[in-house]
Amino acid sequence: MASRSKFKDPGFILTVVLVIYAGFVFIWWPTDIYMLGISLVAWLMFIGLFFWFLLAVIYAVWIEKLEGS
Amino acid sequence: MQVTESIILLIYLIVMTIMGIYFYRRARQSENDYFTAGQSINTFVGAFAIFAAVASSSSLMGAVGSGVALGVPYFFTYAFGVIAILPFSMFLVSGQIRRSGVKTLPEFFKQRFGKSVQIVAAAIVVIGMTFYMVPQLTASGLIGSHVLGIDYPMAVIILGLGFTLYAALGGMWAITYTDLIQGAIMLIGIIILALFIVVDHNGIVSLINDALAVDPAFGDITQPWMSYFGLFIAFLWFGIISPSVVMRNFASRDAKTARRSAMWACLLYLALFVAGFFVTAAGASMGIIDTLDNTDMIFVSVIEQYFPAILGGVMLAGLMAAIMSSADAMLLAISAGIAHDIYKEHINPKANERFVTGLGLVVMIVASIVGILIAIEPPGLIAIMVGWVGGFLLSAFGFPIVLGIWWKRANTLGALSGMVGGSIVFLILIIGQWFPTNAEPIIAAPVSLILMIVVSLMTEPPSDETKELVDYYHTHLEE
Repeated sequence: MASRSKFKDPGFILTVVLVIYAGFVFIWWPTDIYMLGISLVAWLMFIGLFFWFLLAVIYAVWIEKLEGS
Repeated sequence: MQVTESIILLIYLIVMTIMGIYFYRRARQSENDYFTAGQSINTFVGAFAIFAAVASSSSLMGAVGSGVALGVPYFFTYAFGVIAILPFSMFLVSGQIRRSGVKTLPEFFKQRFGKSVQIVAAAIVVIGMTFYMVPQLTASGLIGSHVLGIDYPMAVIILGLGFTLYAALGGMWAITYTDLIQGAIMLIGIIILALFIVVDHNGIVSLINDALAVDPAFGDITQPWMSYFGLFIAFLWFGIISPSVVMRNFASRDAKTARRSAMWACLLYLALFVAGFFVTAAGASMGIIDTLDNTDMIFVSVIEQYFPAILGGVMLAGLMAAIMSSADAMLLAISAGIAHDIYKEHINPKANERFVTGLGLVVMIVASIVGILIAIEPPGLIAIMVGWVGGFLLSAFGFPIVLGIWWKRANTLGALSGMVGGSIVFLILIIGQWFPTNAEPIIAAPVSLILMIVVSLMTEPPSDETKELVDYYHTHLEE
C-alpha cells in the first residue's frame, strides 16, 4: 500500500494547469488588442470562465475513477 | 415607494421566515445539525446551497456596478476569479478538510497546529466575517430604501435585524434549504433579464455596440494592472479562506456528493456571470452611471428599465435572497467561531449543546448590530469592500491552510507567524493606501507564505502524529 506522491494528486496537477492559464492571461495582458471593441484581456478571461468549469468536471471524474480503482 | 415590488418582497420574506421557523425545530435537536445541517444534503440541494453561499450580493450588484463604472474587463476579472473559487478550493483543500472530520475552519487549525492557532483563527474569522456583513447590509439597504421608499439607514437597520432573526432561528438547516429557492430565483431571474436585454437590443453584437456608443471606454482596461490582479487572487482564494463556504462543504452527505455539488455550483455560477455580462452591457448602454448616487444601484436601474414591475419585484427579491443567504452563512460562521471554537473548546468544554446554540444566537445579534452600525456609513463600494475581506482572509489564512494540508514540515509557530504577519501587513497596507485599490494581498499574502516557511524551518518539526495526520488527509491517493 505505497502512498502515491502528492505531486500526482489530480488536485495538484489541475491547480498547476489553472495557475498556468491565469499566468498566461496576466503576464501577456494584451490590453491594446481589441475584438468587437472589447480588450482581448476581457475575452481571454471570458474563455477562462468555461475553462474553469471544464477543470472542475475533469477533477470530479478523475477522483471518482481513482476511488473506483 | 414601489408598490408591486414591495408586496412581492414582503411575501418573499414572509415565506422565507416561515421556512426558517419550520427548520428551527429540527435545528435545535443537536448542535451538529445546527451548524452543518446534519451532513445529509444531496447533490442537487448542495449545488444550489454552495452557489448561493458563494454568490454574495456583490456577485450581482457589485460586479455589474463595477463593470459599468470601470469597464467590462473589470467585470470579467471579477468573474475570472469568482468562477475559479470552487474548482480551486476543490483541487487544494476540500477533500482533505472533509477527511479531517472537523466542522469549522478554526477547528481544522486546532487539529493541525494546536489551540493557539485555533484561537487566533477564530478571532480573525469573527473580525473578517463581521466586516463582510457590511457590503451585504449596504446592498440590502440600497434595495430596501429604493423599493420601500424609506431612508437608507432605516432600511439597513430593519433588514439587518430581519436577516439576523432568520439566521438565528434556523441555523444551517434553514439556510441550506431556503438557499435552494434563493439560488434558483437569483439565477433564473438574471437569465430572463439577460434574454429581455438581448431581444431588446437585437442581438449580442448590437448590444455591445450600443454600450460602446454611449461609453467608448466600455471595453478598455481603465485601472492599474495591480488592481485587476489583486482582485483576481482575492476572489480565487475565497473558497479556501471563507469560513462560510468551507462550512457548506461539510453539509453534504459524502465526499462524492460534495465534489459533484461543487462542480454543478461552478456551472450555475458560470451561467450567472454570462448573464451578468449582458446586464453590464445594458447598464453601460443606458448612460446614467454618472447620475446615480451610488454606482452599485445600476443593477436595479437595469431591472427597472427592462422588466415590467412584477418581474422586477421577483428579481429584486432574488437579489435580496442572494444577500440574505450570504449574510446568514456569515452570521453562522461568526456564531460558530465564538460559541463553538472559543467558548466550548477553551472556556467551558462541559457546556451543554443547548447553551452553546443559545450563545451562538447572542453572538449573531451582537455581530449584526456592529455590521449595521458600520453599514450606515459604508466605507466604500460593494465590490471594493468584498475585495478587502477576501484579501484580508487570504493574507491571514491562505497559506496556513494550504501548507497545513500539503506540507508536513509546517508547524505551529510557522502557522502563527504566517497568520498574524499576513493580517498585520494587510492592515498596514489598507491604512497606508500606497497601492491601487484591492492590490494589498499581492504583497501581504507572499509575506505570510515566506514567514510561514522560514519560521517553520527554523523551529522544531511537528510531531510524528501530526505528520501522520497530514498523510491521512491524502489517503484517497493510496492504492
